[in-house]
Amino acid sequence: MKDQRVTRIEDLPGPKSQGELEEMKMPYEEYCRKVFAPGQEKTKPESLKGIRWLSTTMYIFTPHSVANLAELGAECIKVEMPRMGDPMRHTSPFNECYLYPLHDSRPMTGTGLGFTNANSNEYYISMDYHVPEMKEAFYRLVKLSDGLTECYRPGTFDRWKQSYRYLQELNPRFIYVWGGGFGYGPKVFGGSYDILGQAHAGLASVTGFHEDFGGHCTKHSNWCIDWYSGTQITVAILAALYWRRKTGLGTMIEFSQVQAATRCLGYGVPLYGRFGIVRQRWGNWDTQLCVHGIILCGKSDYPDEPNPQLKYEARYAVVSAFNDPDFKELCAIIGRNDLWDQYKTLQDRVRPQAQIAIYKALEDWAADKTRSQVVKTLTDAGLLAMPVMNDKEVYECEHFRQRGTIRWLDDPVFGDLLIQSGYSCGLMSKTPRRVNWLWRPVGADNVKIYHEMLGYPMSKIEEWYEKNLI
Amino acid sequence: MCDIIWCKDCDTVNYLDPYYFWNWEGKIKCAGCENVYYIYMIQGHMYKGPDKKAGEKPDILPVYADKPNDGYEQILPGTPGKTRPYNCLPRHIYLGKADMVKFSARGRPVRGWRPQPPSTGVAGSCGFTWDIQKLSPEVWQEYQEKIKKGEVGEW
Repeated sequence: MKDQRVTRIEDLPGPKSQGELEEMKMPYEEYCRKVFAPGQEKTKPESLKGIRWLSTTMYIFTPHSVANLAELGAECIKVEMPRMGDPMRHTSPFNECYLYPLHDSRPMTGTGLGFTNANSNEYYISMDYHVPEMKEAFYRLVKLSDGLTECYRPGTFDRWKQSYRYLQELNPRFIYVWGGGFGYGPKVFGGSYDILGQAHAGLASVTGFHEDFGGHCTKHSNWCIDWYSGTQITVAILAALYWRRKTGLGTMIEFSQVQAATRCLGYGVPLYGRFGIVRQRWGNWDTQLCVHGIILCGKSDYPDEPNPQLKYEARYAVVSAFNDPDFKELCAIIGRNDLWDQYKTLQDRVRPQAQIAIYKALEDWAADKTRSQVVKTLTDAGLLAMPVMNDKEVYECEHFRQRGTIRWLDDPVFGDLLIQSGYSCGLMSKTPRRVNWLWRPVGADNVKIYHEMLGYPMSKIEEWYEKNLI
Repeated sequence: MCDIIWCKDCDTVNYLDPYYFWNWEGKIKCAGCENVYYIYMIQGHMYKGPDKKAGEKPDILPVYADKPNDGYEQILPGTPGKTRPYNCLPRHIYLGKADMVKFSARGRPVRGWRPQPPSTGVAGSCGFTWDIQKLSPEVWQEYQEKIKKGEVGEW
């Protein structure tokens, strides 16, 4: 009689041997490689072709909501202030990573790499749209478009007679997005940056190590809440487009960045609601699983590199061995079977004192090893371990290369650029994302939009240009 | 407190530099009297000094000074013979001189240098092709030489 409590591999669906695994896996791999075919995106249709979107946005958060649409095939028109452009163009790491030109009137100024990924595939026009003379052109663009994303202080577009209340009278199908710091409410005039979003939403308070371990509340080095909130706006836009298909009517989307970031708090809010407990930071460890965190190894993988990020920082590894057999194996590898005797259940291991003892033992074991040695030893033993990779390693990673995640773009205006952009957002077999160009100079498409699309005579465009209106 | 010299002879606080990351070694004259002090600062921390060096020639003057025990009498930046002028400019390495590049990390042309030729269209509009051979023939030439030398990579 078979013991029902015992799981036998013969009874499970799926491959029963390594050979069977290979036999079953390979056709699927081939299938995926064929249908996703990185590098052949431009031979396939674009899902959002036919949608036209206006972007009167700045920095990363709101522009990114439109870049998502543009990578999926929408025709997006970025409207910038004449001669200046989006302030993000003037934000470059170390003030030295620029691509030229920016605009004819500023031959010595470029666009900084900080602008990357937030404005791909868009057409660039310049317009001082709150000047009465340009109102007609702005309204005509609205009549011919499906929607707009803006990021000015709440009520600014209303004062300029170009908020949703005005634009829906011109175009009832118009979808209008306001994205900014706080939105209506007691902090209506508060502006926001990524760091402010992380702080105000409570996210920074649970990021980083506790002060007891020498840590502080921490923001992410990159503007992850800008990218995240921008993508959340795109989700709202796609839902609004679907709603419009059913009702024929537009929508106003009001999107507060600090509000969006609260979603990342996870169980922190309900935890407070139930017990009145304020969640604390737990750094590179996990409150629910142990071992499941990042450890510091003693030696660098690149001891001779001049770059300190390689020479000193390439020393961290993720280690995960939280279920009982894995943890037992881990204790045996690091020669600390006493830890297994002491913490035999997950409940024992996740207690703070236990975690402190276990991670210290792990780091003591890794003190005379490189990150690669640690990862190899653990993965050879069947445990999950992974180096904390840096940009260089992401670039060289075969996994990303085969899937086309990181790739070189032959930008039609700026030349040879290494990007991730749209290729970082998952694969689609029929209508994949693509990056046609990273960005264009300020006002590069003035003639295309004002003359070819809206039908203004060239003399009018030249007159506007002379008057600094475009 | 690392970036001041409090001269006890004349009870003047000399503020040395507006930046906390100052790396500097040399002699500074007090703004309130003729004392000269030697200091050696590393990342804004006083590594050596201040040591009084009577009669020696100073290298620079402080940027600002005041007398907290004397009604906070101020000696503003640029007072002749007492303080040096402050031009609100960071040191040259923080001035953001753009690093010009003509080729990407794998050796292909990228428009990372200025000035670039103006756009060919009306109102700053431009097309979708960077004709490097026509617009920047010298970079194109350099690129051809890189190809010949095998300095252009695929990845």
